[in-house]
Amino acid sequence: MLAASDIQIPFEKYTLKNGMRVILAPDNSVPVVTVYVIYGVGARSEEKGRTGFAHLFEHMMFQGSANVPKGQHFKFVESNGGNLNGSTHSDFTDYFQVLPSNKLAVGLWLESDRMRSLAITEENLANQKEAVKQERRLSFDNQPYATAIVDHWPQISFQNWQNSHSLIGSFEDLEAATVADVARFFKTYYAPNNAVLVLSGDIKSGEAKKLVETYFGDIPSQPQPKHPDLSEPETVKPRSEVYKDPLAQVPGVVIGFPGPARRSPDFYALAMLDVLLTGGDSSRFQQNLVKGKQSVIQYEANLGWPFASFRDYKEPGHYAMFLLYNPVFKGAEVVQHAQQELEKIQNQGVDERELNRVKTYFRASTVAQLQSSLSRASRLGQYELFDGDPGLINTEMASFLAVTADQIQAVARKYLVPERRFVLDIVPAPKTEKPKK
Amino acid sequence: MNKANVALIAVVLAMTLSCQKIDRTKPPETKDLPAFKLPSLYETELANGLRVVLVEDKRFPLVTLRLTFEAGSKYDPKDLPGLAEAAASLLTEGTGDRPSKQIAEELADIGGSIRAAAGPDGFTIQGNVLSENLPKFFDLLADVTMHASFPQDEVQLYKKRRTQELLAERSEAAFWADEKIASVVFGPHPYARLNPTPESIARLDRGLLASFHGSRLVPNNAVLILLGAIPPRMETLELIRSRLGPWQKKDAEPSPAPEFPGSVRKIVLVDRPGSVQADIRMGHIAVDRSHEDYFPLLVANTILGGGASSRMFMNIREKQGFAYDAHSRLQPRKNGGLFAAVTQVRNEVLEPALKSMEEEMKRLVDEPVPSGELADVKNYLSGNFVMGLETQGGLATQLSTVKLMGLPDTYLETYTARIRAVQPAQIQAVAAKYFSPQTASIVVVGDASKIRSTLEKFGGVTVEKAQ
Repeated sequence: MLAASDIQIPFEKYTLKNGMRVILAPDNSVPVVTVYVIYGVGARSEEKGRTGFAHLFEHMMFQGSANVPKGQHFKFVESNGGNLNGSTHSDFTDYFQVLPSNKLAVGLWLESDRMRSLAITEENLANQKEAVKQERRLSFDNQPYATAIVDHWPQISFQNWQNSHSLIGSFEDLEAATVADVARFFKTYYAPNNAVLVLSGDIKSGEAKKLVETYFGDIPSQPQPKHPDLSEPETVKPRSEVYKDPLAQVPGVVIGFPGPARRSPDFYALAMLDVLLTGGDSSRFQQNLVKGKQSVIQYEANLGWPFASFRDYKEPGHYAMFLLYNPVFKGAEVVQHAQQELEKIQNQGVDERELNRVKTYFRASTVAQLQSSLSRASRLGQYELFDGDPGLINTEMASFLAVTADQIQAVARKYLVPERRFVLDIVPAPKTEKPKK
Repeated sequence: MNKANVALIAVVLAMTLSCQKIDRTKPPETKDLPAFKLPSLYETELANGLRVVLVEDKRFPLVTLRLTFEAGSKYDPKDLPGLAEAAASLLTEGTGDRPSKQIAEELADIGGSIRAAAGPDGFTIQGNVLSENLPKFFDLLADVTMHASFPQDEVQLYKKRRTQELLAERSEAAFWADEKIASVVFGPHPYARLNPTPESIARLDRGLLASFHGSRLVPNNAVLILLGAIPPRMETLELIRSRLGPWQKKDAEPSPAPEFPGSVRKIVLVDRPGSVQADIRMGHIAVDRSHEDYFPLLVANTILGGGASSRMFMNIREKQGFAYDAHSRLQPRKNGGLFAAVTQVRNEVLEPALKSMEEEMKRLVDEPVPSGELADVKNYLSGNFVMGLETQGGLATQLSTVKLMGLPDTYLETYTARIRAVQPAQIQAVAAKYFSPQTASIVVVGDASKIRSTLEKFGGVTVEKAQ
């Protein structure tokens, strides 16, 4: 029988004359197609005084273009039975439409029209500034933990402003954005040579290529954008802070350690270590902290947390976790419980049986995620953008499965020590108290 | 391939590409949505009455399982709402042979997962596994299904956790709004109960859970759906027989007879002092999926409040700015169903918001839906349906609904055709039956001292406490 590591996602990659990279990944079993566009620009590309700009711009992308009237983007997709979204990340911004496969051309028309001729007007900008503010009020300012994690945690865990500034941005900076800023950002970063287009699902290669050339082929390329210096100082100074959150009912603590370079041997070992600690019901955190000590109520952890997962992790970043904890414990005790779990790995290592379990769990969850055309498309697009190699969708599994118990112990000792640790304890504050800045 | 051929192909390609002239000012013309062809099903029944459905899909080396029982919360005793939900949550927390941790570890060892969930009608064990480990998966499945032991310490831990969760849920207005509209619409039927109470959680013990398990989770009350990269049919059936064959048949009690209250408008105000918002539900009894009104009602509901192009969304949110969220939902059950229009508005605009909801509902009764709008909604529903079938889990869930609800085998294949067949006159007819302001009930959760008099303009109001 086929072993899970043998799975092969067929794909084909080529580049248009204007520099846009195209990946086609046909699978004709269900009449669904994903149109996915990823641009090499994110919140870490922002300039001082323009925080939140990448995200504001993402909103502008839904405001219409030369041939798509304002507000009609959603309607065209929905009325064709599809769904869509866009999202802004630290190092990229992506957009997708999942459509019944007979509507492929509609998705290409919509994506190419906004890449070619986005409607950058005063009215749209004013309107989207308000929408972003409203989103901030609802999704961040009115949600427990969100402000602490999105605005405060990066300031504790990073020193370079490019990395530590708010991804969602301040109201002042949003207000200051001008139409000229938006137009410049569009020209610089939303050029075909800074984008990857992926079509996955029910497509025919020849027909898809013709359509792609028709819709995207004559969009002019631009000079390749420069990338800002994201480097962090070599020496790490541990920090620990308390944030009083008037919206939190239950305390939670963020713990993080600076992580290794993407796709380095240490990266793969830390990713496996994370599965051992937090992957599924048999994981050490679930068994020892949620059930055993009952100090932790819920947890999440990842390389790149909170803005990425190990899949789209790009240094500098952290191996970080967020633990909602039982209020009978103090934050420092919960940090200690988590650190003890790390020390067990540092001192006793990992036995082969548990390592095999972790690898099997990892294989199964990775394969399961590849079932949808959207997850195949985003995986292919991100591998191309980050690594220039979409084939990693098929070959990278081997690097994860090659991790040894010794490597896991070694990265635990090298990275996950109190001397390199950042802590943000988020505790409920009385309702009248203003959040501590 | 030699160089000359490559060059030739390049020339041909360049020619075809340059021939493509398009009109960018209009969305491209496209063909109709392709018909969906369901992978073929093999169905059989074991000697103990367990029905088995096998579906082969070799694209990924995975197998997905649904083992569905007619054992949902509608069977919970009156003083024990939440029993089925608790049994589901605890099913994998220990058996005679395996403590909870061992089950979790053995499942991770094979790249598998098993968990259970209870809905109003069904109790479903969901699982998946790397196909190479299917035999071991069935060992674990058979163990939890037949021998779940509900260990004392796990039951205590569950009760503690569920009580805390429930307290948090009860602090939300939406919790009370959903509870109350279900109880108004379903009346004496157990569909009226959506959640446990602190008292019912306190009453739970091993004995009650074991007795639920012994009486309801029996093979002749279940359908097993196995989908994915499964071995050849005989081998798969032999595997299922060897693990689940010894499972004893037992008579299960019949499901409660539908006994819904008549459709008369009731208005209930759930008092939540200090609320600056009013959380609104306008609801009505609806129909199950096999009822002739179902597909017209599904289309009508989507026009009214499905998605970001719906009439409620466009009117209440986009045009009048009363609310961030405005939608409607149709929740079919095995018998009957629930329709509810939902929005949350600030106290000052409660009256115009309720009027707008009633106007939108009445407009569907009075005016035929324009053809463009109807076509869009049909595309939306059909597209969403097809999209849900991309994964093994998506198809397995659809199949298990068909089996649990006793729908015909053609249900999934004819779904998009039946959507397409809905006519404007049918929509008006179902709207008159299910969206009428005379018979649709209203539930509002909010500060009674601020909004009671407004609500009384719509009829006699009963005020209740949020408890």
